[in-house]
Amino acid sequence: MQEKKVEAQNILSMNSVEVLYDNVMLAIKGVSVQVPTGGMIALLGSNGAGKSTTLKAISGLLKAERGRISRGEITFQGADITEALAQKRVEMGICHVIEGRRVFEHLTPDENLTAAAPHGMSRSTLNAEKDKIYGYFPRLAERKNSQAGYLSGGEQQMLAIGRALVTQPKLLMLDEPSLGLAPFLVEEIFGILQKINKDEGLSVLLVEQNALAALEIVSQGYLIENGRVVMHGTAEALKSNSDIQEFYLGGGETDFHNVKHYSRRKRWLS
Amino acid sequence: MDWVFLSELAINGALTGLLYSLFAIGLVLIYKASSVPNLAQGGLTMVGAYVVLALARDVGLPLWLAIPLAAVVMFGLGFGIERVALRRLAGRPVVMILMLTLGLDIFLRGTTLAIWGGTSRSMELGVSYDPLFLGDIFISRIHLVGAGVALVLFVAFMLFFRTRTGIKLRAIADDYMASWSVGISVERGVGFSWALASVVAVAAGVIWGEIQGVDQALSLLLLKGLTVAVLGGLDSILGAVIAGIILGVVENVGADFLDPLVGGGSRELIVAAVLILTVMIRPHGLFGRHDIERV
Ligand SMILES: Nc1ncnc2c1ncn2[C@@H]1O[C@H](COP(=O)(O)OP(=O)(O)OP(=O)(O)O)[C@@H](O)[C@H]1O
Ligand SMILES: [Mg+2]
Repeated sequence: MQEKKVEAQNILSMNSVEVLYDNVMLAIKGVSVQVPTGGMIALLGSNGAGKSTTLKAISGLLKAERGRISRGEITFQGADITEALAQKRVEMGICHVIEGRRVFEHLTPDENLTAAAPHGMSRSTLNAEKDKIYGYFPRLAERKNSQAGYLSGGEQQMLAIGRALVTQPKLLMLDEPSLGLAPFLVEEIFGILQKINKDEGLSVLLVEQNALAALEIVSQGYLIENGRVVMHGTAEALKSNSDIQEFYLGGGETDFHNVKHYSRRKRWLS
Repeated sequence: MDWVFLSELAINGALTGLLYSLFAIGLVLIYKASSVPNLAQGGLTMVGAYVVLALARDVGLPLWLAIPLAAVVMFGLGFGIERVALRRLAGRPVVMILMLTLGLDIFLRGTTLAIWGGTSRSMELGVSYDPLFLGDIFISRIHLVGAGVALVLFVAFMLFFRTRTGIKLRAIADDYMASWSVGISVERGVGFSWALASVVAVAAGVIWGEIQGVDQALSLLLLKGLTVAVLGGLDSILGAVIAGIILGVVENVGADFLDPLVGGGSRELIVAAVLILTVMIRPHGLFGRHDIERV
C-alpha cells in the first residue's frame, strides 16, 4: 500500500543506479533520485560529479556513449524503463535537453521544432505546439526562419528547450541550461521553465552548477559528488546549509576557504 | 573559332555532366546522413543495372515493370546494408565506415562477376540512336533522357528534404546525439538514406548501362561521381547538379583543346585536376555547408 502511494506521487524513481562506461569506468555509484509528479527538482554538483551520466541513464542516451546501467533500476510512472530504448522513453514522455544546447545548426529554428515532432503527430497539432512554444519564447518566433547555428547562445538554449517540448514530455530533464549565459537570460529561461511547470504540470529535473539560480526555482535538490548523492533536501534547507553556501553559492573566496573546501570535499567523499 | 562545334561540345558536355550528377546524387544522399562518402556507390549502380537485366532478360518482364521492381529490390538492399553492416559501426570513427563501404564495393563487384560473368550485356532501352538536331547542333537522345531523369530526381529530392521525414534526415546529418535525444530513430534514418541512394543507383545504372553496356566497368563511375560530389560540396544536391554540368562541360571542351597537344587521354587528367584542385583550394566545394563558427 505504502509503496503504491509513493509510486503515484513520483513520476520518476531511480534506485541505487550504477553506470559503467566502456565496461570499466564506474561513473555513478548507486544514485537514487525521485522526481515527484509535477515537481521541480535540481541535481547539483561540480565538474565530473556524474550529473550528466545520471540524466543519460534516465533518458537512455548512455548507449550512444558505450555506457550501460550495471546495477539498480529506473521506473517511470510505475513502469520499469531500465532497459528501454531511448526512442521508447521519449514516446513515454521523458525528454532530455542535452548538455551544450546542440541545436540542429543547419536547420532553421522552425525546422528544429519539426524534426522533433513525434511519429504520427498531425500537422495541426504540430502547429499548435509550435505556436505555444513561440508564445513562451517570442525571440524564437522572430528568428524562426534563420539558420539555427547563427542564433545567440540564449536563443539556442530556448530552441533546445522548445525542441524538447515538441515531443510533449511529461518529464523534462535539462543539463546545465544556464551554462555560458548572462544572468538576465538565465533568469528569463528559468522563469519560463517555472511557468511551464505551473501551467502544464510538467515535471522538471534540472542539472545545474549554478546552484544559486537553480535553488530559486526548485522545491528540492540533490547534491552529487564523485558519483554519489551526498546530500538531499528541500531548496530552503540546501540554501541555508553552510557547506552548500560556501562551495556552491559563492561563499568565501579566500585561500583559507579553499583549504576548507578541500577538506570538506574529502569528508563528503569518504 | 567554330562556334557551332564549340556549342555542340558544351551542350553534350553538360548533358554528360548531368549523368555524372545522376550518379553523384546517390553519394550526396548517403553523405548527408552518415558524413561518409559511400565508396560502394559504383558497385550499387552496377548491381542496380544487373538486377534490371535479370528481371527483364532472365525473368522476361517488360522494362517498364523491371525497372521499378529493381528499384524496390535495391531499396530493400539499401536498408539491409544499414541493418547488417553499418549499425554495428555506429559511433566508430568515420574512417572505419569508409573502409566498410570500400569492402562493400569489392564484395558487390565480386558477387556480380560470379553471377553474371565478365562479358558486357546491353540494356536495350529502345531509345533511338538517330541524331537529334538542335539547329546545327547534334545531340544524343539517350543523354537527353538521362539528363531529364537527373533533373527530375533533383527536383524530387529538393522537395523531399522539405517534408517532415526529409527534415528529420537533415537533423540526423547535423547531430546524432541530439536526434536520439528527441526520439528520432537515427538508425532508421540512415537506413532510409541508403535505401534512397540504392534507388538512385538503379536510375544511374539503367542510363549508364544503356550508354556503355552493363559490365564491371559501371562501378568505375564512382571516380567521376565522387569528383562531382566533392566539387558540389558532398552534402548538397544542388551542388551535385551544378558541379556535374561544370565537370561535363570542362571535360568535353577542355579535352578537345588538350587532346591534340598531349596526344589523347586528357579527359582523365582534367577530372583528376578538378578533384585535386577542389580539395586543395575549396575543400567544402561549391555549395557544401561550412561548419558554423561558434561565437
Ligand atoms: N562517454 C564516457 N566515457 C567514459 N567516461 C565518461 C564518459 N562520460 C563521462 N565519463 C566520466 O564519468 C564521470 C562523470 O561524468 P559526467 O559527465 O556525468 O559529469 P558531470 O557531473 O555532468 O560533469 P560536468 O559538470 O563537467 O558536465 C566523469 O569522471 C567522466 O570522466
Ligand atoms: Mg555534465
